[in-house]
Amino acid sequence: MVELAVFFVFAAVAVIFALVVILHRNPVVSALSLVASFFALAVMYVLLEAPFLAALQVIVYAGAIMVLFLFVIMLLNLQHQREETTRPIQQALGYVFSAAFGIGLIFYLIKYAWIRAEQTTPFNSDARAIGIRLFEAYVFPFEMVSILLLAAIVGALLLSQRTDLRGRPTTGVDHPSGQNPEGAAASPRTGQPSFDAGQPSPAAASRRADPHHEGAK
Amino acid sequence: MPGIPTNYFLILSAILFTIGVCGVLTRRNGITIFMSIELMVNAVNLTFVAYARQFHSLHGLIFVFFVMAIAAAEAAVGLAIFIALYHHRDTIDVDEANLMHW
Amino acid sequence: MNFDSTDIILSLVKIAIVVGALLNVTPIMVWVERRGSALIQDRVGPNRVGPFGFFQSIADALKFILKEDLIPAQASKWLYTIAPMFGLIPALTTIAVVPFGRAFVIPERIVFGHTLFAGGRLFEPIAADVNIGLLLVFALSSMGVYGIVTAGWSSNNKYSLFGGIRASAQMISYELALTLSAVSALMVAGSLRLVDVVQHQTGYFVLFNTIKIPAWNVFSPAMFLSFVIFTVAAFAETNRLPFDFAEADAELVAGYHTEYSSMKFALFFMSEYMAMATISALIVTLFFGGWDIPWYDEPATFFGFLLSAMAFVAKISVMLFVFVWVRWTIPRLKYDLLMKAGWKVFLPLAVLNIVLVAVFIANHWI
Repeated sequence: MVELAVFFVFAAVAVIFALVVILHRNPVVSALSLVASFFALAVMYVLLEAPFLAALQVIVYAGAIMVLFLFVIMLLNLQHQREETTRPIQQALGYVFSAAFGIGLIFYLIKYAWIRAEQTTPFNSDARAIGIRLFEAYVFPFEMVSILLLAAIVGALLLSQRTDLRGRPTTGVDHPSGQNPEGAAASPRTGQPSFDAGQPSPAAASRRADPHHEGAK
Repeated sequence: MPGIPTNYFLILSAILFTIGVCGVLTRRNGITIFMSIELMVNAVNLTFVAYARQFHSLHGLIFVFFVMAIAAAEAAVGLAIFIALYHHRDTIDVDEANLMHW
Repeated sequence: MNFDSTDIILSLVKIAIVVGALLNVTPIMVWVERRGSALIQDRVGPNRVGPFGFFQSIADALKFILKEDLIPAQASKWLYTIAPMFGLIPALTTIAVVPFGRAFVIPERIVFGHTLFAGGRLFEPIAADVNIGLLLVFALSSMGVYGIVTAGWSSNNKYSLFGGIRASAQMISYELALTLSAVSALMVAGSLRLVDVVQHQTGYFVLFNTIKIPAWNVFSPAMFLSFVIFTVAAFAETNRLPFDFAEADAELVAGYHTEYSSMKFALFFMSEYMAMATISALIVTLFFGGWDIPWYDEPATFFGFLLSAMAFVAKISVMLFVFVWVRWTIPRLKYDLLMKAGWKVFLPLAVLNIVLVAVFIANHWI
C-alpha cells in the first residue's frame, strides 16, 4: 500500500516536471525540471528492486549529464532567447500528432503487452550480480562503450574549439593559456550578440537596465 | 511482497515518452529538444528495468547501463555541437541551423 | 523485510541522533573557524559572548533570523527561494549511510509489564543500511551542486552567475577523482556497504611479528595515495578554501550567495559546514577505521557503542580542524590550475591507484 502511494506520488512528479521541461520557455527551468523528473525515475528504479541502477541514474543523469546541460545553458547565457511562434500550424500539428502517438502507444500497450502474471519472487539485482554479468557476457560491448566515450571526448573537444575565419583553432581572446574553460566564459564574445540585435523584448531591455548587470562591467 | 504491477511502469514510461516526442516536435530551442530526447531515452530505460524485474533477467539492467553510457557520450557531443552552432550563428534555434556547412 | 513498531522507533532514534548531531555541527564549527583563524593569524577572535566567545554562534543565529529577507527585484523568485534548500537536503541526507558506532545487542527487558526488545535486538548505529551504501553518498552529494548553480543563476547577478558556472565545472571535475579514489577502499572491503568497510579495518597489520598497527586503510601502502586524492577532492567538493572558487571573495564578491541575506544565507552557511562534516565522516570511515578504537576491542554492549561513537566523533573533529587549518594556511589557487590539477593529476592518479590496489589484492598482500 505504501509502495503504491510512493509510486503514484513520484509518477505524478515525473510527469509534471516532464511537462514543465517541454512547456517552459526558460531553458534553465527546463533543465532543473528534468533533474527532478530523473530523480523521480530513480525512485521508480528503487521500487523496481534495482537500487544500483537508481544510484547510477542519479549519479550519471542528474549528477553529471544535467550539470553539463546547465553549464552550457549558463555559459551561452541562453535564458534571454525567445522562441517566436513562426509556424503555428506546424506546432499545432506537432501537439496533435504527439497526442495521437501517445494514445496509440498506450492503446497498443494495453492491447498486446498487458502483463497478467505478476512476478512475486524478489529480484536479485545488486551491484555484484550486475558486475559479474557485465564482465562475463558483456565484456566486448563494455570495451566498445569505452572506445565510444573516448571518441565522444575527442569529438566534443574538437567541436567546441574556437576557430578563426580560416577554421584554425584560436586561443581565448584575453586568456593566453586558452585551456581555461572559465576564460572562455569570461571573455566577452566579440561582435554584437544577435539576441540583442533584433527587436529586444521588454524583459531583455529591462534586464540590461538592471543595475546588477551593469555592476560587472 | 507483491510490489507494484509492471503495467503501471509501462504506462508511465509511455506517457513520459510521449511528452518527449511532443517536446521534440514542438520546440525549436535546440537544448530543449535535446532535453526532450533525454526524456525519451529515460522512458525507454524505465521500460527496460520494468521488464527486467518482470522476467528476472539482468540483461535489461545491463542494457540500461549501456544506454546511460551512450547518453553521456551523446550529451557531450551534442552540447559541443550546440556550442559550435552558437559561436557561428549566435542562436541555438534549430530553424536557423539550415545549412549543412556554416 | 518485516517491520514492527520497535524497528520504526529505533530508526527514528537513529535519525534523531544523526540529524541532531549534524545540526549542531554548524554553530560549533563557526566558533572553531573564527577562533581557529584568530589563533593562526595571531588575533583574539570573538571573545565577548560567553566563555571564550562560545555563544557567539547563538548571537549570529539570532542576527540571521532577525535580518530582513530580501529577494532581488529581477531574480527568479521561485528558484531563488528553493535554491538554499537544494543545497541543504543533500548535506543533511548523505550522512545516513555512514555507521557511527559499533553495533550492540539491546537486551530484553520488561517495562510496566510489556516485554521490550524480545529476545534481544541488534542495534546497528546507521540510519539507512542500504546495500548500495557508498553509491548513495555519491548520488546524493552530486545533487549538492544544484543548490549552488541554482542560487548563482536565479540571483540575476553576474558575480553569482560566475560562481555558479565555476561550481558546476569544478564539482563535476573533482567528483570523478573523489569517486575513483573511494573505489579502492571498496575493492579492499569487497562491499559497497560502509559497515563492511569499517569492519574490514578493525584488525591489525603486524610488523615484524611484534608491532601492531591498526588495519586502517590510511596505513596500508596501497591506500595512502587514494587517501590523499580523496582528501584533496573533498576540499574541492565542499568548496573550501584552496578551491573555493564558487564564492572567491576577492574576485566574485561572495560568488553564488552574493544576493542572499538572512536565513536563506544561513542555510547556505549551514549546508557548507554540514557537507564538511559529512565528507569528514566519509574520510574517517573510508580511511581511518570509522568508529574503530586502536588497540582496544570494544565490547558489543551499550558501553562499547558509546566508546566507539565517541572515537568516531573525535576523529571527525580532527578532520574538521584540518579543514579549518588548511583554510587559513593555503591561499586560493588559480582557476585554470584547479581544472588542470583535477583532470591531469588527480584523475590519472586515482585510476593508477585502482590498478595498484588491484595488484595488491591479486597478490593477497592486503
